[in-house]
Amino acid sequence: MLNRRRFLTTSTLAAASLAAPGLVTRALAQGEALKIGVPVPISGAFAANGKFATIGALLAAEEVAAAHGVQVSTLDLDTEGKPATAVRKVQDALAQDGVKLFAGGILSSESLAMGKEVERGGGAFMTTAGADEITGVDCNRATFRWSVPTYGAINETVRPIIDALPDAKKWYTITPQYVFGDGLLNAAKDVFQEKGIEHVGNSYHSLTDKEFSGYLTNAIAAQPDVLLLLNFGAQSSDTLRQAVSFGLKQRMTIVVAWASGLEQFEALGPDICEGVYFGAQYWHGADSALNRELVAKVQEKHGFNPNYSFAGSYICSKLLLEAAVKAGSPDGAGIAAALNGLKYQGLTGEEEIRAADHQVIKDYYLLKGKAKADMADKDDYAEIISAGKSFLSPEDAGCAMPA
Amino acid sequence: MNPLDKPYAQLALAVLAVLVLPLFLKSGILATEILIFAMVVAACNLLLGYTGLLSFGQGIFFGIGTYAAGICLTRWQIPVPVVLASAAVLGAATATLVGWLSIRRQGVYFVMLTLAFSQLFYFVAYTFSGVTGGDNGLLGVPRPSVGGTALNAPWSYYTYVAVCFVAVFAILVMVTQSTFGRTLLAIRENEGRAAAIGFPTKLFKLEAFAISGAVTAFGGALHAMLIGVAPLSNIEYHTSELILIMTIIGGSSSLFGSVLGAGFYLLLADALSTVWPRWLLLLGLVLVTVALFLQRGLWGLVERGYDLVFRRERAPETPAEEH
Amino acid sequence: MIYLFQVLNGIGLGMLYFLLAVGLSVIFGLLQFVNFAHGAFYLLGAYLTYDLTMRGFSFWAAMPLATLIVAGIAALIEALLLHRIYKLPHTFHILVTVGLALVVQELVIIAWGPLGGSVPAPEGLQGVVILGDFIYPQYRLFTIGFTAVLAGLLWWLLEGTRLGAIVRGGSELPSNMALLGYNTLRINTAVFGFGAGLAGLAGALAAPIRGVEPFMGIEALSVAFVVVVIGGMGSYTGALVAGLLVGVVQSVMTTLWPEGARLMIYVGMALVIALMPRGLLGRA
Repeated sequence: MLNRRRFLTTSTLAAASLAAPGLVTRALAQGEALKIGVPVPISGAFAANGKFATIGALLAAEEVAAAHGVQVSTLDLDTEGKPATAVRKVQDALAQDGVKLFAGGILSSESLAMGKEVERGGGAFMTTAGADEITGVDCNRATFRWSVPTYGAINETVRPIIDALPDAKKWYTITPQYVFGDGLLNAAKDVFQEKGIEHVGNSYHSLTDKEFSGYLTNAIAAQPDVLLLLNFGAQSSDTLRQAVSFGLKQRMTIVVAWASGLEQFEALGPDICEGVYFGAQYWHGADSALNRELVAKVQEKHGFNPNYSFAGSYICSKLLLEAAVKAGSPDGAGIAAALNGLKYQGLTGEEEIRAADHQVIKDYYLLKGKAKADMADKDDYAEIISAGKSFLSPEDAGCAMPA
Repeated sequence: MNPLDKPYAQLALAVLAVLVLPLFLKSGILATEILIFAMVVAACNLLLGYTGLLSFGQGIFFGIGTYAAGICLTRWQIPVPVVLASAAVLGAATATLVGWLSIRRQGVYFVMLTLAFSQLFYFVAYTFSGVTGGDNGLLGVPRPSVGGTALNAPWSYYTYVAVCFVAVFAILVMVTQSTFGRTLLAIRENEGRAAAIGFPTKLFKLEAFAISGAVTAFGGALHAMLIGVAPLSNIEYHTSELILIMTIIGGSSSLFGSVLGAGFYLLLADALSTVWPRWLLLLGLVLVTVALFLQRGLWGLVERGYDLVFRRERAPETPAEEH
Repeated sequence: MIYLFQVLNGIGLGMLYFLLAVGLSVIFGLLQFVNFAHGAFYLLGAYLTYDLTMRGFSFWAAMPLATLIVAGIAALIEALLLHRIYKLPHTFHILVTVGLALVVQELVIIAWGPLGGSVPAPEGLQGVVILGDFIYPQYRLFTIGFTAVLAGLLWWLLEGTRLGAIVRGGSELPSNMALLGYNTLRINTAVFGFGAGLAGLAGALAAPIRGVEPFMGIEALSVAFVVVVIGGMGSYTGALVAGLLVGVVQSVMTTLWPEGARLMIYVGMALVIALMPRGLLGRA
């Protein structure tokens, strides 16, 4: 009686399976549906991300179903943004519903915990969460990550700006005090040292802070040329908003190293974003074949542009489902074999899944906010300044992949 | 007194709950979580219903237990029974400290003080991330093993927790039936009189706190082993709030009411969250409804139902009890 | 020099905290009611300001309008729902108001989406004031002045007028007030609406500084509790002193020892309750 989980099943027409029978390399058992769990925060403080992630996963499921003539079901799992709930739902999906594939996990803490659980259950998990440990010290056979780690995020934002602004010699940082923030901070310090930049100060804040005027006052006192914000989500929006109200945009260059892209720009509005640099994992204006296709499809179907939550969930689901079709089974070992070393044309152009740590090698973007008058449409908040791939080797990232 | 309130009836109901859950629930994980919270909520009830202390600090002890299990099981290879025992001792010690500082104030000030402590402990856990793993938590907490096999299957761990639950519940029933428990009730009814008779009321309250903290930390340790991680969210203020809400929903006049409260909340949350992303709205309405119409909680409903079926003549409505 | 500036900034924060807390304090003082929904009224005030300015209203119209709407909604909730439960133990106050806060938060998400947004500072206050090496936004300076005037008005209202006397009298001996022919029920409704309106006003004032997002009420609630507990429940002066104290400590700590800023505030709160149970200036 108490099993109200809802599967959204996408079946294909018989015609579609007849049209492309040869694509299924090793056929899945007759009538067996591929199931994919989407564990994301649907309620709670990160609900906005979860909503788009579930639609993104559904689109991927429809595409794979249509392309390969298989049945694909997606199962939304509301993690509520809490690791305990996330793990419980993943355990349930593994044990009761026979789900082996999981695409999701937006917060670091829940993703790390779910990765362990999926490995224990013999499945495969792909995430876009930020913590370096996911493909670093806590890497495992079942867990894959699409998003670029902190090292790449810093190198693809800080370096190009240093090159573009040779006179900006003094940088100030504002950092959330936990592992993720320290990851960004340490990467930034390395770049500063190498490039002869003076790091004139850093303010740590806690994950519950919403008032940043005190930290901004510290930053003003240090008189930097560049203010580098290393926090993310609502906290980076709050910091940026308050920095702009302090008139810092006129006095220094502001950089948000880990922005969430369109979602964040919508909450901030163009006036605040104008002239600010943002590092981003994904931008709907990126010039790649798959991305253009995705944008067109989402526009046609939903009438909006895909954001990071949508795109990340879409590509993770798609990669897992394609791998399951190729392997003929959703079991973790087969998925890993199909994904390891895979090169494909992804949303950011050429992407590759590195076998040694299950990290996707992809571009990270440096965006710059446009003036409201220069925006071609309501989502045209930013232009791409540069894009590139920077990654630590798996050894330096700390991953010792279990055999 | 309603026959259902008798100690053996309470214990029988607890055993019944353990046996019935597997029949109705597909998810062994959810069933296990219900039992863990049931004992934690019953421990909160020992304070609220039996001592009249509205503690907003139960999350502290739950978190302490979680971290005790997380640290002992991932860093050192300590046997699980020892871990559970030390979690309980640590929980009792912390609760004694928090209780000692808090019970000096009464009413709203007591509530606020426990609330301040729950924030304080959260920030301690957050700040000392070297020990607690900070926001990431402690990963890879193993399940206990019995006879050499790890209890990785949901229902096998359920059995383990069920045994713990029945034992803990029996202990709590015994505590409430003892002279100690009756004295607590006397303190709740009229602290001045109890003190005048010569009872060291503060000491009694402190002991209630210690027992409650021990059970809560014990539950926290079991929870860490259930989900395989010791997360920061277990020591958050929200956990305290959650435990308190379950206690009030269940009804504070009976220990088994707490089992109902935990079960009701977790099942409702699980069901609603798959139906509608904005399910917290419905939960809010449920809380308001309970406060307005069900002041004796779900247990009050059970009592009324029992009276309706087994005793034709209905006892007059008892007003909500003062805490 | 930087400390001087952090103190100034802290006063700016503190005045907002005062505004947020004084409503909670008044409600508690008169009604002995623990209101966990106070943050929800702050949230609502901020979102209404956001909505009205988006619809083309000027901030100067949106702010009072939002305050009045929040006060009206709160008074309605009090008259329909809350007055039934004053007599019940605090447990039920908490249960109802936690439930209400959840309902408001989710309704905000349904009405305005989960993302949040920015509210521009009003025309004429968008610039900054430059003092030597330091900078301060004009709008923040305005909020300091505005809340200072408001604080004066409130003081006069609560300590110097008949209305204030009634409110204080009601909080001390409700039955006496009834004997004197005052309708305590209607006074309760008015005071609750008034206290919640102040929270709404705090939200409206904070919106151009913080922007709006659906979970801002939770943080506001915890700040308000800290201020009220330190200052003493039911005390106007206590809320002012404690609000400023918390604001200044928080701001100065961001330079001194940012990692421990939050920890210090809660340690301070626990110390105050342990040593001075009624808060710094609470009525006995």
